[in-house]
Amino acid sequence: MVAKEMIEARWKLFGGALLATLIATLTDFTYSNTKEMLNSAAASQQPGSIRDYMVQMTSSFDTFIWNSWFSMSNNGGLVMVVLAVILGAGLIAGEVSKGSIFLLLSKPLSRERVLLTKYVVSAAILFAVVLFGSLVLLLVAALQGHPQNTLGMLISDLLFWFALLFALGLATLFSVIFSDVLRPLALALVVMLLVAIPGFIPGGQAWSLPTYWTSLPAYLGQSFPLKEFAVAIIAAAIPMLIALPLFRRAQY
Amino acid sequence: MSTMTAIKQEALPVTSEAEAIEINNLVVSYGDKRAVDGLSLSVPTGSVYGFLGPNGAGKTTTIKTLLGFRQPNGGSAKVLGYDIVTQSLALRARVGYVSEVNSMYDYLTIPQMADFCRATSLRWEQAAVDRYLKMFGLPLKAKVKQLSKGMKSQLAFSLAMGSQPDLLILDEPTSGLDPIARHDLLNQLVGEVAASGTTVFFSSHILSEVEAVADWVGIINAGKLVISSELDQLKSSQKVLKLIYAEAPPSAELDALHALPGVVRVDQEGRSVRITVHGDVNTLSNIVQARPYALRDVEIVDLNLEDIFLEYMKEGNNGR
Repeated sequence: MVAKEMIEARWKLFGGALLATLIATLTDFTYSNTKEMLNSAAASQQPGSIRDYMVQMTSSFDTFIWNSWFSMSNNGGLVMVVLAVILGAGLIAGEVSKGSIFLLLSKPLSRERVLLTKYVVSAAILFAVVLFGSLVLLLVAALQGHPQNTLGMLISDLLFWFALLFALGLATLFSVIFSDVLRPLALALVVMLLVAIPGFIPGGQAWSLPTYWTSLPAYLGQSFPLKEFAVAIIAAAIPMLIALPLFRRAQY
Repeated sequence: MSTMTAIKQEALPVTSEAEAIEINNLVVSYGDKRAVDGLSLSVPTGSVYGFLGPNGAGKTTTIKTLLGFRQPNGGSAKVLGYDIVTQSLALRARVGYVSEVNSMYDYLTIPQMADFCRATSLRWEQAAVDRYLKMFGLPLKAKVKQLSKGMKSQLAFSLAMGSQPDLLILDEPTSGLDPIARHDLLNQLVGEVAASGTTVFFSSHILSEVEAVADWVGIINAGKLVISSELDQLKSSQKVLKLIYAEAPPSAELDALHALPGVVRVDQEGRSVRITVHGDVNTLSNIVQARPYALRDVEIVDLNLEDIFLEYMKEGNNGR
């Protein structure tokens, strides 16, 4: 069953790895351009808070890389979240819409085993893509003379992966509920946006999940993000804990 | 999950039930609508059982419930001695299933499909799969999406046989196939499978194919069992007596005919009267000929399965 899941997801894996490579490479090469932009006349017309944020994020190459690759509001994070949602949305709904759910459920496998196998394969694919993208980042940064903290990158990768597991779990949950792939896809993306909203409200950072999905001090090797890990792991588990009993009782 | 560990083969109790399928007062609903409404049915072990009914009669819902895709809202059922609710995993280890829709993975090749089925089955005999694939002449390197509908049915059947099932459940296995593909699949294979002792339970609304291969039939309509019987017994117990009168009989005579023992239906068209009979048709023929209306011709006609099916459907509709 693992082999079948890998064959099914192979194009998503290749596409994700290709996008990760492109984004990682571009991120390494756009640092100086972004800094120059900040000194331009157009940037000086931006509201103070935005400009301050941009200056902070480009204060060093390392900070810029962290923000571009691991932040949910930037290219790297967004692309990975979309990949996670695409993988999860088709897990069960794809089987139902194609009719193959009947073949799968006619086998002597428990439904929990079916769902978890599919989820674990998708989670492994996401981990591989995240690691691959980070490897490219590390390599290109080193070639440009900005070697990154490898351990910090690995810890940030793990934290980022748990964020993606939350997205994957959400899409999987909706995939169990709905029989088409489009609704799980759209709903999971909407929920991902909703969990970020508290972060935009003054004093709401502590209630925003994306706050816990990335840590600059951890990336820079200054601290271990224990609290962030705890929140990210619990958040990642919740959608699957709901999806499993729902799938067990689902009628086809 | 390269090897099956969900349940250990040795942990499966060996059953030697006289009934491969035993359904008692089964109720399955979709919301307020009862798709299966108090169905009770027994399928003898070793039989080829044709499960008949018009579209929407509840055939597929019954099969889905037997295999655990849906939970029953009432009643109970056992398949190969296993309870369909509490022993579904053990049950599915011994049942081969071919669904009415193409339920295979288009992006896999035939060997990859076989690998998937082997990895998810408790028992597997690749030689049996290879034999059927060879018999059908399926292109082994092709992907499922490159196969025609008939080839996909043949592949599904071949793979279902790989798990060495004690019971083979086929849900409309020939739907959408041309007559030659239908003939190949049913006449050659179902006969061969049944000869090996495997019970075959297949739903269909193509009556000629059921008649060709089944030795038992069950007819379901509006979620209820209309009749379940050995096919030969069913056919021998139902005949039609065709009468040609010298003059069109009055309605009082038709009422009198209807009241005779064993008469199920009386249809009149001018001087011609058609009487559907359950039971001893020869005795009835003698009784009719002794009545005071002159007959030009009396003929006893055997019913084929389609006639019998239509008779039961008419009875059911009139009864409602």
